Amino acid sequence: MVGVMASCPRDKALSLFNSAKFSIEIPSKLEPLRQLQEIVVYRDPTLLVEFVPHLMELQSEHFSPIRKFLAEMIGEIGLKHRQFLPEMVPVLISFLKDDTPAVAKQAITTGTNLFRSTLEDVALQALPDSLRESSWTCMLNFKEAVYPVAFQSGSEGVRSLAVRFVEATILLFTPDPNASSRPVPPEGKSEGFSISWIQGGLPLLAAADLALEASKNLGMLLDLLRSPSVRGLPYSVIFVLINSLSTIARKRPAFFGRILPVLLVLDPSTVVIKGALVSNVRHALKNAFLACLKCTHPGAAPWRDRLVNALKSLNAGDSSERALGQFDNVPGNLNHQTGDPHAPKDGTLSMHVSDATPIDAGRKRSVAEDAGDLAHGDDISGKRVRHVALVSQESPMQVIQPSPEKSQESSPLNMAQSSTGDGESGPVQQLVAMLGALVAQGESAVNSLEVLITSISSDLLAEVVIYNMRFLPSTRPSPESGEEETLTSCNISFLISNASAEIKQLSGTEHTMSLLSALPQIASLLDMKPLPSSSSADLTEERKPPIPMDLSIPASNTSTTDVAVLPRDAPASSIVPISDEEVNQLAVLETIEVGALQTGIPGLDDVPSVEELKEALDSSLSSSVDLVSGSSAKQESSSDHMSYDKSEALSPRASSGDMSWASSTASAPIVLPSSYLLQKVPPLVVALTDEQKDHIQKLAYVRIIEAYKQIAIAGGLNVRFSLLAYFGGECPLEFDSLGLLQRHILADYLNHEGHELTLHVLYRLYGEAEREQDFVSSSSASSTYEIFLLTVAETLRDSLPAADKSLSRLFGEVPYLPKQALKMLESLCSPGNGKDGKDLQAGDRVTQGLSAVWSLILSRPPIRDLCLNIALQSTVHHMEEVRMKAIRLVANKLYPLSFISQKIENFATEMLRSVVNGNAGGESTNIDRSNLSGGQIDSTEGVPKGGQLLKEAGLATADISSNINDSSSAKTLSSSSISEAQRCMSLFFALCTKKRSLLREIFLNYGSAPDAVKQAVHRHIPILIRTIGSSPELLSILSDPPTGSESLLMQVLHTLTDGTIPSPDLIYTVKRLYDSKLKDVGILIPIVSSLPKDELLSLFPQLVDLPLEKFKAALVRILKGSPNMGPVLTPAEVLIAIHEIDPERDGIPLKKVTDACSACFEQRVVFTQQVLAKVLNQLVEQIPLPLLFMRTVIQTIGSFPALVDFIMDILSRLVSKQIWKYPKLWVGFLKCAFQTKSYNVLLQLPAAQLENALTRTPALRQPLVAHANQPNIRSSLPRSTLVVLGLAQDTQSSSQAQPSLSSADAGTSNTQALTDTTKEAKTVG
Amino acid sequence: MEAHALLRREGFDVSSYGTGAHVKLPGPSLREPNVYEFGTPYKQMFDDLRRKDPELYKRNGLLPMLKRNSSVKLAPQRWQENAADGSFDVVFSFEERVFDMVVEDLHNREHALMKTVLVINLDVKDNHEEAAVGARLALDLCKELEAAESWDDTIDEIVPAFERQHRRKLLYSISFY
Repeated sequence: MVGVMASCPRDKALSLFNSAKFSIEIPSKLEPLRQLQEIVVYRDPTLLVEFVPHLMELQSEHFSPIRKFLAEMIGEIGLKHRQFLPEMVPVLISFLKDDTPAVAKQAITTGTNLFRSTLEDVALQALPDSLRESSWTCMLNFKEAVYPVAFQSGSEGVRSLAVRFVEATILLFTPDPNASSRPVPPEGKSEGFSISWIQGGLPLLAAADLALEASKNLGMLLDLLRSPSVRGLPYSVIFVLINSLSTIARKRPAFFGRILPVLLVLDPSTVVIKGALVSNVRHALKNAFLACLKCTHPGAAPWRDRLVNALKSLNAGDSSERALGQFDNVPGNLNHQTGDPHAPKDGTLSMHVSDATPIDAGRKRSVAEDAGDLAHGDDISGKRVRHVALVSQESPMQVIQPSPEKSQESSPLNMAQSSTGDGESGPVQQLVAMLGALVAQGESAVNSLEVLITSISSDLLAEVVIYNMRFLPSTRPSPESGEEETLTSCNISFLISNASAEIKQLSGTEHTMSLLSALPQIASLLDMKPLPSSSSADLTEERKPPIPMDLSIPASNTSTTDVAVLPRDAPASSIVPISDEEVNQLAVLETIEVGALQTGIPGLDDVPSVEELKEALDSSLSSSVDLVSGSSAKQESSSDHMSYDKSEALSPRASSGDMSWASSTASAPIVLPSSYLLQKVPPLVVALTDEQKDHIQKLAYVRIIEAYKQIAIAGGLNVRFSLLAYFGGECPLEFDSLGLLQRHILADYLNHEGHELTLHVLYRLYGEAEREQDFVSSSSASSTYEIFLLTVAETLRDSLPAADKSLSRLFGEVPYLPKQALKMLESLCSPGNGKDGKDLQAGDRVTQGLSAVWSLILSRPPIRDLCLNIALQSTVHHMEEVRMKAIRLVANKLYPLSFISQKIENFATEMLRSVVNGNAGGESTNIDRSNLSGGQIDSTEGVPKGGQLLKEAGLATADISSNINDSSSAKTLSSSSISEAQRCMSLFFALCTKKRSLLREIFLNYGSAPDAVKQAVHRHIPILIRTIGSSPELLSILSDPPTGSESLLMQVLHTLTDGTIPSPDLIYTVKRLYDSKLKDVGILIPIVSSLPKDELLSLFPQLVDLPLEKFKAALVRILKGSPNMGPVLTPAEVLIAIHEIDPERDGIPLKKVTDACSACFEQRVVFTQQVLAKVLNQLVEQIPLPLLFMRTVIQTIGSFPALVDFIMDILSRLVSKQIWKYPKLWVGFLKCAFQTKSYNVLLQLPAAQLENALTRTPALRQPLVAHANQPNIRSSLPRSTLVVLGLAQDTQSSSQAQPSLSSADAGTSNTQALTDTTKEAKTVG
Repeated sequence: MEAHALLRREGFDVSSYGTGAHVKLPGPSLREPNVYEFGTPYKQMFDDLRRKDPELYKRNGLLPMLKRNSSVKLAPQRWQENAADGSFDVVFSFEERVFDMVVEDLHNREHALMKTVLVINLDVKDNHEEAAVGARLALDLCKELEAAESWDDTIDEIVPAFERQHRRKLLYSISFY
C-alpha cells in the first residue's frame, strides 16, 4: 500500500506532463499542468529534480498561455526551492523578449518576487553558502536583463512592469528610514525588509554598491521624464513613471531632492502631443504631489512649499489645502516642517527673515502668499516657525543659522527635535551616512564617490555641506599635530562635505556653533585674506596661518585648499620646490573647484586682489593644459559674475551672510563636473612628445564626451553641444575626433540628444565647407559632412526601430542632403532596386523611408522633385507590400499637395499608358522623367549651396532616371503578365479615388489594351468602383462610354449595383445609354431589379432574347429584386411574362422562349409547384391561350408529378375552352392527357374531337375504352362518345337524342370559336 | 450599481464599491441624509426607508433602486476594505473625487502582485438617467478593453478614440496590485 502510494505521484506527474505536452488544445494543456504543479511543488517536491528540466522544455511551447503559466510556475518553484533557480532563471530571461506581452509581463512579475525573496534570503543568510551565491548570481543576471526593457522602448505593458521592477530594486537597495534597524523575526515578511540590516557587509552584497546602483537607476528613471526623452514615451509609461517615482520619494525621502525637481518641472502640455491626454498626466502629477505632500518625513518638509505651489498651478488647490490641513493638525509635525532642530523663535531671527526677503522680489511674493495662506488661526509661535520654514525652503542655507541662545533654550519643541535629531535618518543624514561609508573605504571608493556626488542635486548637496558645518570643531586643531592629515581630511571634507570620522569624533555640543558667532571671524579673516595671494613669494610660510580660519568657515577657504590638494596628487616632499608660477597654476585649477567663493570673498574687502587673482588666472590659463581651456573659460566668466553678485550682496548687514551661503550653493553644480575633470591633471609641467600630446588630447576629448553623459543631467546642453561640435571640428584630423563623437552619438542616439549633437556637428561642417575658398579643404569638409551624415543615418536606420522618427527628423533638419543620402532613402523605399540589394527589409523600413521622403517633400522644396521621384519609383515597385505602402503615401498624403499633384498624375498616367501600349512604356516614362528633372533644376535655383548642390542634384536625377530605364526595360519584357500590369496601374487606380475625373483615362485606354492589362483592370476596378460609388464623373463616363470599353462598363455596372440599390441617377443614366447609344439590353441587367414593373415587362422580350446565360443572370436579379422593395416580379409573373411573348410579333425565336421557360423550371426552389399552379391557373384563363401553354403544362407535370390532379383539372378546363381549336396546343393537350392518363378528361371531349384524338394517338384507344367500359362511368357517358369508342351501336334512340344535343353543342361551340377567332385576330392585329 | 448590474448582465466578473466612510442616501432634506454603515444589506435599507416615508422614497427612485441593488448583491461594500476580493483588471469610477481616492488607495497598498490595474474615471451625474447612460458607456469601454489583446499597449489609443466617439472626457491612470 505504502509502495503504491509512493510510486503513485511520480507516475501521475509523468502522465500529467505527457498529456500536457502532447495535447493540442490550450485548456487541455493547462489543466494537467496545474495538477502537475500541485503535485511536484506542494505534495512531493522530490520530484522536482526530475521534472524541472522537463518543465523548462515547455518554454518553446507554441501557445502563449502555456508559456505564461510556465513563468508563473517558475515563481512557485523558485520561491520554495532555490536550488532550481540557475536552471529556471534563464528561461525567465528569455521570456522577457517573448512576443506575447502577457508572457513577458508574467516573467517580470515572477522575477520581481524571486528577486526580492532571494535578496532577503541572501541578506539574512538564510541559505546555504553554495546556494546563496548561485541563486543570487542568476537573479542579478535577471536584473540586468530587465533594465534594458525598462529604459528602452517596447511593449508598454511590459515596460511599465519593468519600470516597477526598477522601482522595486531601488527600494530594496536603499535603507528604509522607517524600518527597524534589525531583522525582524520571519513573520515580518518581504515589505519589512531593509537593506540596512546587512550594513555589516556580506561578501555578496555590498551595501554601498547597491546604494550606488539604486542611485544610478533612479537617475535613469528620472532621465526618462526629462524633457527630450519624455516626448517619446507612451502615456501609460509616463503614468507608471510618475507613480513609481512618487512611491520612491515617499518611501525613501532621501530622494526627494532628486525626484521632485524633475516632477515639478514636468509640464504635461509639453509632454503630450496628442493633447487629449494632458489632463490625465496632470492628474497623475497631482496625485503624485499630493502623496508626497502627505509624507510626514522631515526630509520632505523643505519641498512642501513648492509642492503646494505646483498643486495650485494644477488647480488642485482644495485637495492640497486639505492635505495641508491634515498635516498641520499633527502636533508633532510642527517642528518637522522646519527641517531644523534649532527652530528660531525670537525677534532677531524674524527680522532676519524680513531682511532676507527683499533680495528677490519674486521670491518675496511667494513667501508672503504662502505665509498668508498657511498662517491662519494658529498661535503666534507656530506662525513664526512656519514663516521661517518657508523662507528656509527658498534658500535652504538659512536653516543652518542656529542661534546660540536658541539651542540653549530648552523649549519642549526643541527638546523633541534635538532628541530625534541625532539618531534620525533624514535625507541629508542618510546621504551623509552613505558618503561616510564610502569615505571610510578610502581610495577604492573614490570613483563611486564621484559618481554619487555628481548625481546628487545641487540643493541637496548644499544641505549636506551645511549639515556638516555643525560638526566642524570650534577650535582649530593645532597646526603641529599632523599637518598633512588635517589638510587632507580638510580637503576631503570640503570636496565631499563630510568625513565620517568627524561625525564620530565631534560631539553634539558643536551644534552650538553658529554663523552669527562666526561672522566676526569672517571679518577678521577677510582682512587676512589678501595675504596668501598677494605675497605668494613665500607661500610655504604664509599658508599655515589661514588654516585655522579655514576650518571654522570653509567658505573662506581660499588658497589653503590649493595647497591641500597637493598631498593627494604628489608626494609631500614635492610641495617645497613649487615655484610661484606653479602655485598660481594650481590656484587656477583650484579656483575652478572652489568657484566663486575664492574670488568673491576677497572682492568684498579688497578689490585689487580680485584683479590680481584674475590676472593670475589669465596667465596660468595660457600655460595650463589645453583641454580645460573651454571649461575654465566658462568658470572664469561665471566666477566674475559671481563675484559681482556677491560684492553687491555682501552689504554691511549682518544678515548678508546668508547670501554668501546661498551663492555658494549656486556655485555647487559648477564645482562638480570640473572637479571630476581635473582628477588626472598632472601637477607639474612635463615635456611631452607630440604623440603623447595627441594621445592626451584624444583622451581628453574622450573624457569630455564621457562627461557629457553626466552633464545631461545638469541641463544647459544646447550651449555645450555647440562647444562639443566645435571641439570635434577643431581637433587635428590625425585622430578621429568626429569618429569618437559619432560613436558617442550613436551609442545611444535617443538618450544622448544625438539629434541635436549631430545637427551641431553637421552645421559646423557645412559652414566650413561653405566658408573655405580653397577647393581642397572645402571638398574635404563636405565629404566629411557627407560621411558623417551617412554614417549617422545608416546607423539610425539599422539600429532604431522602424517606427522611430529620428531619421526623417535628421534628414529634415540637416543643412543639405547629399546625393548618397537620397540614394540611401531610395534603397530604403524601394528595397532590392538600389545598388545594395542585400537589404530586403521588412515593410516597416519602407514605411520609415517613405515617411522620411514625405517629410522631406514637405520641408525641403529644393529637393522636392527628387524625393517625389523616390516615392513614385516605390509606387511601381515589384513587391506588392512596398508598392501598397508607397501608393498609400502618394495617393493620400502627397497627391493632395497642389504643387506636386500634377507631377504625380503625369507619372501615373504615363505608367498606365506605358502598360497599355506595351513596349512604348520605357520611352514615355523617360520623357516624363526628364520633364520632372527639368522642373527640378529650375526649382533648385534658389538653393544656398549653389552650383555644387545643383550638380549633385542633377547627378542624382540622372541616376534615378537610369534606374528607371533599367526597371522599365525589364518591365517590358514581362509585360504580358497581369501582375506586371497591376504593378504599373495601381498608382493610377489609387489616384482615381482621389480625383475621379481620371477614371475616363482608364476607360479610354481599356479598349486598346492587351488582354493581360484588361484582366488586371478587371481585378482592380471593383475595388475602385466600390470606393467611389456612382459619382457624377462615373455617371458621365457611363452615359458616354468610349468605344471598346463595353465589357469594362458591364463590370462597373455590376459592381455598382452589387448588393446595393442603384441610385436613381445611375438608373437614369443607364437607361439613357440603352436608349441612345448602346442598344444592348445586357447593360440593363444590373439595374433590372430597380426598374419599374411595367418598364421591365415591356423589356422582357429583349431580355429573353439575350444569350441564355445573361438571361439567367437577369432572372436572378429580377427575382431577387432590390433589398428594400422586394422582388420586382414574382416568379409567377415572370413565367407569365415569358408566356406572353409572341415569337412572331416580338421577333424572337421560339427556341429562346422555350429556353427561358426551361431556365425557370430549372430553379425548382423558386418556381415551386404552388407557383406553377398559380401560373397555370392564370394562363388557362388567357384568350388566346399562350403558344407554349401546353408545353409548360407538360413540363410541370414532368417536374412535379404531385400536381397531376391539378393538371387534370386544367385539362378539363381546356376541354371546356375547346382546346381543339388551337391546333398546336391540341397536340400538346393530347400528349399531356395521354401522359397523365386523364381519361375522364378525354371522355369529356365531344365525340368528333374524341375521335380525332383517338386517330392521332391510337395508343389511347385501348386504355380509354377500358376506362369507359367501367359500369359507373359508362353509364354517365353520352352515347355518341360510346359510339366513338365502339362501345355502343349507332342506334336510333341515341341518334334521335343526339342531333338536338350535338347541334346545340355545335352551335354554341361554333359561336364561341367565332368570337375566339375574332378576338385572336384583334390581338394579332 | 447601475453599471454593476449591467456589466454583470453582460457576463463580466464585476464588483462594486463605495469609497466614502459611510453609505449616504438622500433623505427628506439635504441636511438629513440617511446614513448606513457599509455592509448593511440593501434589503434592510429598503425596509428602513419604506418605514420612514414610502411615498417620498418611491418618488425619488430610492426604493426601486435599493430593490434593484438587492438583486445585484447583498450589501454595499467599501473599496478601502476590499483587499480580500483579489485584484481587478479595470476599476471604473464615476466621479473624479472617487478616482483620486482609488488611485491614492491603490498607491498606498502593498504592490506584491506586480499586476497592472487600469483605473478609469468617467464623470457621471448622480441621477438615475445619467447612471444608465454612464453604465452603457462603461460597458462599451469594457468591451473595447476586452477586445484589445493587452490593454496596456493600446490604452493610449483606446481612450482618445473612446473620447472622440462618445464626446466624453476620460481620466485614467495605471496602478498596480
